[in-house]
Amino acid sequence: MSQIVCQCGKKLATIHVTEIINGEKKEIHLCEDCAKKKKLVFPAASSVIDLSEVLSGIVQAADEADSDELQKAVCPDCGITFADFRTHGRFGCPTDYEAFRKGVDPLLERIHGTAEHRGKRMKPRAARSRDTRLVELRAQLRQAVADEAFERAARIRDQIYALKKEQGHAAD
Amino acid sequence: MRLTELARQPGEWLRGTGADSDIVISTRVRLARNIAGYPFVSRLQPPQQAELSQLLCESIVEGGVVPECDYFDLKVASQIERRLLVERHLISKEHEEAEGDRGVAIRHNEALSIMVNEEDHLRIQALHSGFELNETWELINGVDTALGERVPYAFSERLGFLTACPTNVGTGMRASVMLHLPALEFAKQIEKVFHAVAKINLIVRGLYGEGTQASGNLYQISNQITLGKTEEEILQEIQGIIPEIIENERRARQFILERNRPQLEDRVWRAFGMLQHARVISSNETISLLSHLRLGVHLGILRELDIAAINQLFVQTLPAHLQVIEGRELDSHTRDIARATYIRKCLGAARHTGEN
Repeated sequence: MSQIVCQCGKKLATIHVTEIINGEKKEIHLCEDCAKKKKLVFPAASSVIDLSEVLSGIVQAADEADSDELQKAVCPDCGITFADFRTHGRFGCPTDYEAFRKGVDPLLERIHGTAEHRGKRMKPRAARSRDTRLVELRAQLRQAVADEAFERAARIRDQIYALKKEQGHAAD
Repeated sequence: MRLTELARQPGEWLRGTGADSDIVISTRVRLARNIAGYPFVSRLQPPQQAELSQLLCESIVEGGVVPECDYFDLKVASQIERRLLVERHLISKEHEEAEGDRGVAIRHNEALSIMVNEEDHLRIQALHSGFELNETWELINGVDTALGERVPYAFSERLGFLTACPTNVGTGMRASVMLHLPALEFAKQIEKVFHAVAKINLIVRGLYGEGTQASGNLYQISNQITLGKTEEEILQEIQGIIPEIIENERRARQFILERNRPQLEDRVWRAFGMLQHARVISSNETISLLSHLRLGVHLGILRELDIAAINQLFVQTLPAHLQVIEGRELDSHTRDIARATYIRKCLGAARHTGEN
C-alpha cells in the first residue's frame, strides 16, 4: 500500500474515512492528531461496558413513587437536592444518605437487595480529627494568601503551627 | 522512584506465580473510602481538594501505612505517565482523565496502590499474581484498618462505608479475578461461564476488549453487590465459582489437545512465528497472539519461553509503555513498527535464556 500524507501535510495518514453525502463519495485521509481534532477516533477502552454506568442507569431512573417533597429535599451539609442526586447518580456528601433516606433506602434495596451493612466496622470516632482540621486550616490559609489578607493568614498559620506541635507530642 | 521506571519492572500481577497461575492471571481487591466531614470529591472546592490530597498523601506515606511507597501527583504527571499507570492497572481511566488535585500512592512492588481523590477520597487496591483472594484481602484489610486510625472514615453503623455512588456503599469492596480462558472460548463454551456467574450476582467482563468480547481471551469476574454481606461472604462467593471455571478451562484444554492437537499446535506456532517476524503490528493483534503463546507454554507445546516474559509483553507492548521504553512520543503508525521491533527483541532474548 502506498503511503498517504494527511491533509495537514505534516504526518502520515493512518485513518481513512469514506464520506458519502448525497450520493457523492469523498475520501479523507488523516493523521492521528487531525482525526482526534475532528473527533473521529473511537477510544477503544471506553467501549467496555461499564458496570457502574449500567447501575447509575438504575440510580437515575426516577422512581414514580418519589414525591415532590422528596425531590425537593435539601441536604443540610452539601446543599444538593434529591433531584440533583437523581440527575447525576452521585451523592454530594456522606450526610445525603440520611438526608434522603426515604428515597435512598428503596434504591439500595433495588441495587443490593438490602439497606443494611453487615461487613467490617470501624470504631466510632469524632467526625473531625486533628488531621482533617489541618486540611481546613490549610485551605483557609491558601484562600487568605490569595485574597492578600496577610493578617488573617498569619493567624491561621499560627493555628496550624499549634496544631502540628500538639500532634508531634501526641506521637511521642 | 520515577514513574517511568515502572515501565521496565515486572509488576506484581505479571509475575505469573501464585495458585492456578496457568489460568488465573491476578486477583484484585479494592476498597472505596471517604473522609468524614468532607463533601465527596465532585463537590470539593479546589483549595479544599488540594489540601485533602496533601493530608491523605502525608497520612499514607509518612504515617508508614504503606511501607516502601511513593506518592505521585497526577495533576503534574504527563499524559503518557498517567496512561502508563492505567495500563499497569494502578489507576482507573477516570482518575487518568480527571482534572483536579489528585494522586496515587504506589508500593514499589505494585502490590498495593491508593488512589487519592478519584470518585471517592480513597480507593485502596491490592493486587496479587494468581488466585489468591485471602492473601489479597488480608493485605488490603490491614492497610485499611491502619489508615482508618489516622483519618476518620465516613462510616455509618447502618450503611457501613459511605461512598459517592450508592453501588459501592457498605463494604465499599470490589474483588475481582482475572482469568485467561482461551480453550473455553475456542470450544465456544464461554457463554456458559457468563450464565453461571450471572446467577450468583457476579459480573464478567472482557479485558481490553469491547463488551464481553474479550481480546486476548482475558476475563474479569467480580462482585456486584457491596451491601448486606460481609467481606468474607462476598469473597466466598467468588472463591466458590472460580475453581469451577478453572476446572472447565482445564478440561477444555485437554479435550482440544486430544481431539484437535494439530490445529491447536498450528495456532500456537503460527502465533509464535508472527510475533517473531512481524514488522508492523497493532496492540490488539499482539494481545491476541500473546494469548495463543501463553496457552502454548502452559500446554507444553512451546517449551523455550517462560510465562513471566509473555505476561510482561502483554503490558509492555501497550501504547504508553512502548513510548516510555522507546523514550519518545510515537503516533500509532510508528508505534506499530516499534512494537514489532520490541517484540522480536524480547522473544529473541527470552528464547535465548530458555536454551541456556
